Amino acid sequence: MVGEIKKILVANRGVPAVRIMHTCRDRRIPTVAVYSTPDRLAHHVFMADEAVHIGEAPPVESYLNMENMVKTALQTGADAIHPGWGFLAENDRFAQMVMDSGLTWIGPAPESISLMGDKIKAKKIAMRANVPTIPGIEKVKDIREIKRWMDREDIDFPVMIKASAGGGGKGMIKVSSEDELLTAFSQAKSEAKKAFGDDTVLAEKYIERGRHIEVQIVADDYGNIVHLYERECTIQRRNQKIIEEAPSPTLDENLRNEICITAVRLMREIGYRSAGTVEFIFDSNTRKFYFLEVNTRLQVEHGITELITGLDIVSIMIDIAMGRPLPFKQPDIRPNRWALEVRLNAEDPKSFSPSFGTITRLQIPHGPNVRVSSGVNEGDDIPPYYDSLFMLLMTAGANREDAIRVMDRALGRSLRVEGVKTLQPLLLSIIRHPKFRSGEFSTRFIEEHLKELVSAFKDKDSEDEVLKIARYVAEISALGPQEWM
Amino acid sequence: MDVRGVAMTKRIKGKARTGKNPKSRKTKPLKGSLLFRPGMAPREIVSTLRSLEGVAITSTGMRDAGQSDYKNRHRIFDLSTLAGYYNEMGLFSAECHGGARWHVGIMNRRESPFEEIEILREKMPNVMLQTLIRETNLWGYRPYPKNVIEYVVQRVDIDIWRCFSFLNDVRNMRAVAEVVMKRGRLFEPAISFTQAEWTTNNYYLSVVKDIVDLCGGVDEIILCIKDMAGVGSPERIRSLVDAIKQRYPEMVIQYHRHSTDGLALPAILAAAQAGAKILDAQEDSLTRFYGQPPLLSLHAYLEEAGVRVHLNRSAAEAAVQKVRDWIGHYDWAESPFRGFDHNVTQHRMPGGAFPSSFEQAEKGGFLHLMPYILRVMSLYNKIVKYFDVTPGSQITWVTCSGIVNRYEKEHGRAGVRHLISLLEKFVEENKQDFSSMDKREQEELLQLFRNAPGDFKNLLLGGYGRLPVGWPDEWVYRSAFGEEWKEKIKERKELSPLDSLEDDDLEKHRNTLKETIGREPTEEEYILYLMHPKDTVSYIEFREKYGEAPLVLPTDVWREGLKRPGDRVDFDLWGKPYTIELVSVGDEHEGLIHVVMRVNNRTRVYTVETPRAKRIEIRMAKGPDEIGSPINGNLWRIGNPQRGELHVGDIVHKGEEIANLEAMKMENAITAPFDARIKEICAKLNEAVVEGQLLFVIEKI
Repeated sequence: MVGEIKKILVANRGVPAVRIMHTCRDRRIPTVAVYSTPDRLAHHVFMADEAVHIGEAPPVESYLNMENMVKTALQTGADAIHPGWGFLAENDRFAQMVMDSGLTWIGPAPESISLMGDKIKAKKIAMRANVPTIPGIEKVKDIREIKRWMDREDIDFPVMIKASAGGGGKGMIKVSSEDELLTAFSQAKSEAKKAFGDDTVLAEKYIERGRHIEVQIVADDYGNIVHLYERECTIQRRNQKIIEEAPSPTLDENLRNEICITAVRLMREIGYRSAGTVEFIFDSNTRKFYFLEVNTRLQVEHGITELITGLDIVSIMIDIAMGRPLPFKQPDIRPNRWALEVRLNAEDPKSFSPSFGTITRLQIPHGPNVRVSSGVNEGDDIPPYYDSLFMLLMTAGANREDAIRVMDRALGRSLRVEGVKTLQPLLLSIIRHPKFRSGEFSTRFIEEHLKELVSAFKDKDSEDEVLKIARYVAEISALGPQEWM
Repeated sequence: MDVRGVAMTKRIKGKARTGKNPKSRKTKPLKGSLLFRPGMAPREIVSTLRSLEGVAITSTGMRDAGQSDYKNRHRIFDLSTLAGYYNEMGLFSAECHGGARWHVGIMNRRESPFEEIEILREKMPNVMLQTLIRETNLWGYRPYPKNVIEYVVQRVDIDIWRCFSFLNDVRNMRAVAEVVMKRGRLFEPAISFTQAEWTTNNYYLSVVKDIVDLCGGVDEIILCIKDMAGVGSPERIRSLVDAIKQRYPEMVIQYHRHSTDGLALPAILAAAQAGAKILDAQEDSLTRFYGQPPLLSLHAYLEEAGVRVHLNRSAAEAAVQKVRDWIGHYDWAESPFRGFDHNVTQHRMPGGAFPSSFEQAEKGGFLHLMPYILRVMSLYNKIVKYFDVTPGSQITWVTCSGIVNRYEKEHGRAGVRHLISLLEKFVEENKQDFSSMDKREQEELLQLFRNAPGDFKNLLLGGYGRLPVGWPDEWVYRSAFGEEWKEKIKERKELSPLDSLEDDDLEKHRNTLKETIGREPTEEEYILYLMHPKDTVSYIEFREKYGEAPLVLPTDVWREGLKRPGDRVDFDLWGKPYTIELVSVGDEHEGLIHVVMRVNNRTRVYTVETPRAKRIEIRMAKGPDEIGSPINGNLWRIGNPQRGELHVGDIVHKGEEIANLEAMKMENAITAPFDARIKEICAKLNEAVVEGQLLFVIEKI
């Protein structure tokens, strides 16, 4: 696939769609947005140069509707499709369908997606490439198999049951005792079926107090594979990342080099092309890392790698898709700052229960060293059908302390969201927590500290306060003097 | 004493329409010089007063004036415009705190007494702040245990603590006195005054003796004569002050008097001539009928009579003038019963209770019964003897208005007249000799207090302390308690509530408040909560929603909003200027009104719900037999894959999945808490449900 891309259909919505369209604007490549019925007035629709209604609210009828997606691209004269993340991003059949229709697929080869999408095959390849893997058992049929494997390999609870086809924390359940095994097993299968259309699951030893470290890779058609260093995504809730940073505060130089080279080695074994990420779990006690999975797509947290390297990964993906070689070699990549990202989900910060509704006020942080990737505007609705992520907030600094300080300003003094509940107070509490500041945490940080975390609040600000006063004036102007006065 | 959260209020500056800057005015020396300042030791204050030629003034303009004629509705936004003048006036003190101002503040004005102190301290640093506190009842209406009293009094930044007991039970003042005196603040015990045959000079001298004993002498206190109903005739007051001065020549006396009987000024002159050193007054322009006498009139009247008044008259005149800027915004709050009332000497309703009692009568639809109620009160207070001031005045009011309303309901206006003649006969003709009444009359009296409020019964049982001249007659107990009356008399307490009440669990209260509001309360919120739990929670909710609206909005906007398009309100908040301008108010549609406003040039639309707004009723799960949704989500499965869909009547087993919710692509299984039969399925398949919404009603098997 060589040649200019003249128009890109972005097969996504919200944050990823807007992110991709920004790069397309930079490069003056026209874009086509697609939208479901409730997204008619969504932000990404107006970021694009044109927009096409693609179906009803349920994702299967809209953002997961492969035929419609390809048909829309052809009708609007788009010559390439970028899938973003989520939805069809890791669907090899869709990638194939795009290519078969004569369009350019901005992403890895369908074969790589399919190979890495199968957790069992992925693990085998990793072993072949001499990448350390977590002990486990594949294609589990029933819980007796899990028990036998645990006996055989002398594995204790907790263990993890995962969808073989999974990712993003879906179809992934931690089992702490034998009592929970059956429910967890059926739930994992059911979620796997629903999320990925495949209910095959695997079981693995669970690394207690592990840290999540991943390596960003870009690779072209000519065998050039370059890593853009690592990110640490240890702060998670329900197995979903909510704070990421680059570089990792955990690794020393030797381990950093080792983990990055290991990732490159694995991607070379696969024959990977485009942007992708190799994820590892790092056991702080033994200081060993194990392969988790490869994400064959642009990742949510790619922005912090862009901040520390100065590169545009979406732009690189487009170049690779156009058949161009990478314009740099490994020694050219020299990260020179620290970056932090928080995910703003529309959720109750205490219960993580989703919060839908209209964003009645949105004040977006600005100022030095702040990058905002928003999927919404003030006045937009957050519909209940899709992912709860509506904004990414990134900050940078010369070192970790600086980046955290800027994040404190952005979250505490600048960002204001009203109308839906968000993780903002929780995120603020985390970045102010001494354990987070000192870098001592694991993937269980939130569950271990939840009680103390939810008590912090954003800083008081006269802008917020005046709006409360205005609400009062509005109500009394409409209703007149009140009984209680 | 610093409490958390005050930094915030420090930065507030309401756009006060100050005319001249009072600080630029030249003060006359001597008259009105600043003899008294916050931080002075009690002993120093007392000795300054002893050597003072003439009298000093406590202004009640910031508290009792508004309480007596305006239901305590005067907002700190307006009152604080007087602070600059007070700062120069040479006042002894400003009573700006306590009484019902706490409760009405959080309930009706939505401002906290702590904010008020903070604002006044900043705007009138020269003036000693004075509170009015009800011994064990503090600023509430019931006796608080000792640990609550100590906790609260320790944390309120007030210079002068005027403390009264509606029973003149000095024992009840002990806890407040100890904390105040230990803090080096001035304790001002008050004797509750009324004019009755039993309130003799000897009676009062015995109360004063208790006070002097409690306070270890007369050198660190001021004694207040609290004439809260305004009933002391000039010669009666002259005689009382004189009697006290004869017994305690070094005692400094303050005379606090309401104007209700129309004789305040002569009574005050009499007090001053007999040796009272401090007199209470309020701005002439604030004066109506039930508060303190007018300041400038008092000044002129006393000076003419040869009593020097320590006051910067020109600053006082400016304050009087300032009030006229805003007093017109409070017409709605004025008592509906206007004019002096010399009959107050009979019914003794205190000035502070006048407007609120009439307000209650108006709301309750029995304003026309007021003359009868006042008459019954004047007979009642001869049967049960105490002082009509909080909480006694509330007990009198609720008891007497209850009796009159009951007679009206059962027998009409004739019944009410009958009640009064019965009581007149009993009290006035038969001198309360129960046996002299005939059998039917006795039976009627024995029903009189049967439905009296719990507080009345608690009073009879000694819950508030000892009554000033002994417990009421036996028949009152028979009337209030029926057959149990003998046991009740045995239970009657002779101890002060300070000694009989057990300490409260302060941590438990704090945690309850924390759980209710979902965050750590500030120290101030917690103290408010200790006084008035329910109203404090509603106050906190209000302030979380509407922020500092009560502090920065002018009173017309606070009460009525912006009226016409283009109307605007300017104010400063935390050192920055803001403008809210009305663009339009839409028509009501299905219970909603849209208001468009420009907030610092930015247009915003507010949707306001009217009382007619439709609310979708969602049934929430309550008992253990009701299963609610753990999250907001989509109910995509009722039942489980093994047995398929569940129906009403099906048996489910403990731990069995009975439904599944999906939210943001995550599944959440709902399991049966015990073996049960499904009685009701309360949501539909694929319905979007909210957290806590009722999904199933089950029945244990």
